[in-house]
Parts: sequence; C-alpha cells; structure tokens
Amino acid sequence: MTHDKTGAGRRVRALRQTFRRITAVLTGVLLLALTGVTLVDVLGRYFFSSPLPGASEMTELLVMAIVFAGLPAICLDDGHITVDLFTAQLEGRAAEIQTMAGRLVVALMLAIVSWQLWEHGTRLGSYGETTIYLRFSLSPVAKAASALCGASALIVFAMAVMCLPKGVSEDI
Amino acid sequence: AAQETTLRVSNWLPPSHPIVKDIVQPWAEQVEEATEGRVEVQILDAPLGPPPAHFDLAATGAADVTFGVHGYTPGRFALTDIAELPFLTPSAEALSVGLWRLHENMLAEQNEHEGVKVLALWGHGPGHLFTTGGDVTPLDALEGAKVRVAGAVTNQLAEEMGMVPLQAPAPQTYELLSGGVADGIFFPYESIPFFKLDSIIEKGLRVPGGLYNVSFFFVMNEGTWNELSEENKAAIDSVSGEPLVRMAGQAWDNADAAGLEAIRDTVEFHDATDAEMEEIRAEAQAIYDAVREKVEAKGVDFDAALQMLQDETAKVASE
Amino acid sequence: MDWPIGLALLLGLIFAGVPIAFALSGIGLIGVISIIGLDPALAMLGQIYFDSGRSYTLSVVPLFLLMGNFIVQSGIASELYDAANAWLRHRKGGLAMATIVACGGFSSVCGSSLATTATMGRISLPAMRRYGYSDRLAAASVAAGGTLGILIPPSVILVIYGILTQQDIGKLFLAGLVPGLIGVLFYIGAVRLSLAVHPENLETMEKLSLRDRLRATKGVAGALVLFVWVLGGIYLGVFTATEAAGMGAGGAILITALRRQLTWRNTLVTLFDTAKTTAVMFFILFGALYFLNYVNLSGLTSDLRDWIMALGVGRIPVILMIIVLFLVLGCLLESLSMILLTVPVLFPIVADLGFDLIWFGVFVVVATELSYITPPIGMNVFVMRIVAPDIPLQRVFAGVLPFVFVDILRLLLLIAVPALVLFVPNSM
Ligand code: NA
Ligand code: NA
Repeated sequence: MTHDKTGAGRRVRALRQTFRRITAVLTGVLLLALTGVTLVDVLGRYFFSSPLPGASEMTELLVMAIVFAGLPAICLDDGHITVDLFTAQLEGRAAEIQTMAGRLVVALMLAIVSWQLWEHGTRLGSYGETTIYLRFSLSPVAKAASALCGASALIVFAMAVMCLPKGVSEDI
Repeated sequence: AAQETTLRVSNWLPPSHPIVKDIVQPWAEQVEEATEGRVEVQILDAPLGPPPAHFDLAATGAADVTFGVHGYTPGRFALTDIAELPFLTPSAEALSVGLWRLHENMLAEQNEHEGVKVLALWGHGPGHLFTTGGDVTPLDALEGAKVRVAGAVTNQLAEEMGMVPLQAPAPQTYELLSGGVADGIFFPYESIPFFKLDSIIEKGLRVPGGLYNVSFFFVMNEGTWNELSEENKAAIDSVSGEPLVRMAGQAWDNADAAGLEAIRDTVEFHDATDAEMEEIRAEAQAIYDAVREKVEAKGVDFDAALQMLQDETAKVASE
Repeated sequence: MDWPIGLALLLGLIFAGVPIAFALSGIGLIGVISIIGLDPALAMLGQIYFDSGRSYTLSVVPLFLLMGNFIVQSGIASELYDAANAWLRHRKGGLAMATIVACGGFSSVCGSSLATTATMGRISLPAMRRYGYSDRLAAASVAAGGTLGILIPPSVILVIYGILTQQDIGKLFLAGLVPGLIGVLFYIGAVRLSLAVHPENLETMEKLSLRDRLRATKGVAGALVLFVWVLGGIYLGVFTATEAAGMGAGGAILITALRRQLTWRNTLVTLFDTAKTTAVMFFILFGALYFLNYVNLSGLTSDLRDWIMALGVGRIPVILMIIVLFLVLGCLLESLSMILLTVPVLFPIVADLGFDLIWFGVFVVVATELSYITPPIGMNVFVMRIVAPDIPLQRVFAGVLPFVFVDILRLLLLIAVPALVLFVPNSM
C-alpha cells in the first residue's frame, strides 16, 4: 500500500487507532456492566432472595449498546467478515475498484438500516412503548442505534470515495 | 372460483399449541370455505420476528395476519389490561366473549389497535399459582418464594403476596423450575403439561375466577383488508369477530380441561379459604388501582367498562 | 424473486468480497421487497435490527466469548496446549493431536466455535509450523478442533436450539459431552488418516517422563474449576444456562485476577476483542435473520419439508436425508442461520417420527459443526485466514477433508447408538 507512507496514510492510521481506543474503553465498561448485572442478579437471588429488578432488561439493553457502539470502529477498520477466495488475487486498479464497490454496498445498506431504525424508533415513540418492568422508553434506544448506523454509513462512504487503504486487524 | 388472494400468517408458536391447532388453523379453513377458495390462508413455517414484534408485523404489512399478547409491548395497550385483572375469569369462553363485546362497545373507538383490522380478542383460562413443592397455604408460606411471572399483573401480584418475581420467557420455564432457580409459576392448567412441567409441579393455589389472565389479539393488516372484495370481506367477517372469539375461548377451555386431567392426580390443589380470599383481594386492590389509572388516562370510564365486562362475562357463563 | 435466484445472487455478492453481513441483508431486502412490497420490507428491516439487537437469549454470545478471552489472558489457554502436548508430543502427528485435545479443553470454557478456533490458532499454529507440520494439516486441525466449541458445553448454539424447541438447555449441555469426547477421538483419528494419505516429514519430539507430564498438566486446573463452576451451577439450579454465561465470565475474570494477569492494558485488549467479535457476529446475525425471512416468505422451507417427506418413508431414510440437507446447506450457510432456518421446520417432523429432541439437538449441532469447515463458506476456515493470513484458503479446505469424513462417521454412529447422546442427561 503506497498510501501508508504518505501523510494521509499516517493520519488514517492515527484516526483508526483513536477510534479503536475510544471504542475499547466504552464497550469494555459496557461488557463489565453486562457481566456485573448477571452476577448481582444471581448472587442476590441465591443468597439474599432479592434479584436485581429488571436484570434481563438491563442485559438486553447492554448487549444492544455493545453491538452498535462497536460498529463505527469496525467499519473504519474494514472489520466485517468477507470471503476473499477470489478477490485476494486482484491487484492494483482492480483491487481498488473491488474495495470501493464493497464499501459502497456496506454504506448503502447501513444508510437504509439507519433510516429504518429511526422510523422504527418514531413508531415506538408514538405508542409510548417501554420495557416491561423498568418502564425504560424504547424509542430513544432505536434512535441512538440509528445514529450509530448513520455515522458508520458516512464513515464507510467517505472511505469508499477517498479510496482509503484497507484496514487491517490491529491492536488498540 | 379461482384463488385470488393469499393471506400470510406469521406464527411464533409450535404447531401443537392450542392457539395454532384449535384457533388459527380452523379459522384458516373456515376462511377458505366461506370464500369458496378465493382466499387462501398460508401459515408461515417460521415467524417473521420474535413474539413481541407480531403486532407491528401486521400493522406494517410484513405479515397479513398475526396473533400475539398485548402485554408483550408495554405502554402500547392499556385498555385490554381490564381483562387481565384477578378474579374475572369463570371460563376462557365467557371472559373472551365479554372482552370482545366490551371492545366493540367501548374500547374499539380509542383505536389502540391502529393499522389493523381486529379479527378477535381473547383471554386464556383462569390463571393459578403453582409450586414445585412449597406450601401454598397459609399464604405466609409463600413469603420469599421465587416465582416466574407472566407479565405486569402477575409481577405486581407476586410482590404484593411477598414473593420474589422472576422474569423469563415461557419456553425457559422448565429450565427455571426443574433446576430450582424458581419455586413456582403463574400459569393456566393448559400450560403445565404443555411446557412439560407436570412432573415438577406439586401444589397449586386456586381462587374463583383465577388470579390473573392474559389478553391476546388476532389481527389483519388494514391495507390487506381494504384490498379485499366486499364479498370476501363479508365472508371473512362471518367467521371472525364473536364466532371466532367463542371458538378461541372454547379451545382454551378444552385445553385447560385436558391440562387439568393431566395433572389432577399429581398436583395437590388448595382452593383459597374465605379468609385467604379476603387477604388476596386486599393485595389485588393495588393492581385494580394501577389498571384504573391507565384506563382512565385513555379517557375510558373504568368502572363502567369493568361493569360491562363482568355483566357480559356472567351472561355467557350462564348460557 | 424465487429462492434459487436469491441464493445465487447472495453467493455472487459474497464471492465478490462484499461483507457477509451486508450481502445477506442486501439480497434479503431485494427478495422481501419482491414478495411483500417496499414499505413492509423496509419496516421489517428496522424491526429486525432492533428486536434482535436487544435479545436476552443472545446475551450469551458476548459473555461466552468474554469467558474464553479471559481464559486466554489468564494464560490457561496456552497451558492447556502445553498439557496436551506433554502427553502427545512424541507420537507421530502429536502436535496436531495435542491441538485437537486442547481445542476440546478450551471448548469446555468457551461457548463459541469461532472463539475456540481463533484462540487455539494463535497458540498452536506457530508450534506446529516450527516443527515442520504442513500448513494444510496444521490449519485444518485447528479449524476442525475449533468446531468442538459448540458441542462440548457450554454452547451458544445449544442454547438457541433449546429455546427454539423448548428443550431443557441443561440436559442439552450434558448430552453434548460424550459426542464431544468422541469428536476429539475421531479428530485424532483424522490426523492419522491425513498423515497416511499425505505422509509428512515431521520432527518428532522426545517423550517426557510421567513426572514432567503431570507437572505440565497442573496448569489445566483453572479451566477445570471454571468448567465445574459453570456446569455445576446449572445442575444445582443456582442459575440458568443463559445466566451461566455471565457467571462464567465473572469466574474467568476472577481466575485471571488470582493468577495476577489482570493488568489494565491486557484487560482492555481482551474487552475490545470481545466487543469487536460480538458486534461483527451480531451484524452477520441481523443479516442472516433478515435473509431468513426472505427464505421463509419465498417458501424454501416448505419446499425442503415436502422434499424430505416425499423421499423418506421411515425414520432412518428421513434422518439420512437430513444429513445430506445439512451437508448441502452447511456449505453455503453460517451455523446460526442454519439452525434458525432448519430447526423450526425439521423438529416437528423428527419428533413425529419418534426421535428424542435432546438427541436431535446434539445431532443438529454435530451436523452444524460441518458447516464451519466445508467450502465455500466455512467460518472457521475464515478465522484461520485472520490468524494466519499467509495460508491460502484452498489449502485449509483441502486439509479438512479427513475431518469432514470422520464427522460424517460420527453422525452415523450417533444414529446407530443414540444412547451415546442420551445416557448422560437421562442418568441425571
Ligand atoms: Na463449548
Ligand atoms: Na460451510
């Protein structure tokens, strides 16, 4: 990758690194909270007959938060699983076109998903739908997921049109 | 006549469940017969979403017809909570028809079921409290017991009765009870053998009219309905509404009878004494108050609605 | 759009290098639009990403991954390999056999096949290559051994099967034990088979004394404690199989701390790794679930059922047809989509034929294990690609053939002797 040696290439790597670090801290806290919810619920129930109220709902919301919060950093790294059985042989211009086309499909689908998550959030809001026990309002949850998908769509679109070098699995 | 339309039903229950076997499938056959084959009903192999999604699946048109539980989408339906209150269910048929008449007279105009044509509403049989061995009388014996609850009503009831409510999906109940994670469960008779709990459950607490109920909807996408010919609409109407509600109620009653038969010899039932009833009534008051508040917030007179539900239920029960 | 066209387009897009997650949702969207129209199809997209995103059942995915990743961080994972090595290193193909055994051991503390493959790939692949093992055998033994992750409890896939069919997940976990151990033995046989077909010039290592072997095995204690903690908790009714994931993750963190490996930096890497894998898997899952709705609406499942019912008359012909079906679908589909697509259609049929649904769960999982390693879409083989980018995919796929062969033998054995599955859960 010739890009890597240019200033732009360095800036992209630095940006990816920053994203990974922010995501690591954020999702790390969420994962520990997810573990903690089960621990508190089970131990509370077993030893003190007092489970954590709404533990299963907290679990659901935390899983959702981890999945969508992780998305922008993964997109920036081209981290979604692909099959390169045939595309690995491509070189030069052909490889660039293939990368760009793949990214455009991802950006398009993420944009549609983002749009529809927003619509779904609006629908949930109009009924005032909440979780069963905690009465946690669901509309903002869907809209936050929509925002993260939308941001990821923009990231992938920008990567496509700027022909950024492919991300590789790197440490934080 | 040639077939004109196919109605797709998204089904989230196994084919052996009474809702599928004794309500949805017979209705499907009746529709095909009433429309002389012009409308075909296709029950999909797998659901198009999880159970709570099923109202939206019909409202958005992903499926043409769905059924589901009002309580799975908290916040959306308040009025049907009336039918879930304690002590109201002499039989599933009576309560279901009562609920349907109440819906037609007072609830439908609030348009809680927006985007769909309501084909039927129903409730299951009277709900009871079962334990894996713990005593159910005196009521103090239940204090601290961990009990799997079915929704907001049973959750509140469990708390009022001094028990520890556990929230888990119905298919996980066997795991919860057999392992000893939970000591008891709120269920109608039918569900005990259906979820294979008959070998685990030892004691049951019953009150007249049941401790709770769960209200169900059976709906068709509004656009799909509007596109049907007048002739087909009339034909479908003739096998939906009150006749369908009655069939659904009877199906539950039959399933409950079979369920009771299966557990009669292994479960020791205690029917609440008068003194215990007084205690439970006092505890249930908080639930009545909570539902009253929700219903009145939607501009419906709770007392009048409850009166109508009780009157119509009693009428059907004495038929 | 008929389903054969949809499947063809999906494969086209995937081979063109479009990420699997979005190839699935893209083709699924086109397919669903063609059947129910634009607006309902779009609304369904928002609904699926939202509902499946906040799924209590699927919370086992990040937590079982976290458990495995902390076991790696604690150093136990590599000690598992060292222990297996100590007992097997002097045999022909010993390092590959040790890989299989270590995969089995790691599976007992990790619920995911992908995580098992990734972990053991990082640990055992370098050792095998150092001692002259061909890439074909080395990578294939990791990819195949990794499939044990979903059979030996705990298992994400068994949890999902249990929920789909309303079977006791605790019993399913127990039922997976013996077939999992048989899997280890058969895979060891596959290593032999592979060496018989493609003889390799391997450096053999000297045999260790019993004392050295025992010393090397000590490190396994931590994994054993965690395994007993998770399964014991389920059986004593302290927690459910879903909760076991969280309890296991908590236990793994505790073990890591006790071994003084809970450093800030490594912990952050472990957490990030888990979150990243979780998100990637969930987006594939969202796409797979949406595509599944297209398949469902298009009638593929009904076609399959009619096809099986028309061909098979008795129990055995039907179950053999199901093996063929899983082999074919397993080439194309990822494990979770396979379970979600086939189980709801097949389990009523096999139950009617008198098969035990606990047995069928294990049978389905063994059949699904094949999908991880069969071309063209074999997720474990793709994971190897991430662990060792220099090994060409074709070579790994060629290497797994003996393992596929013994997997089929294992399926036939389970049909012939159902007690291998049912003895343990029924005796509890
Ligand atoms: Na496992
Ligand atoms: Na495959």
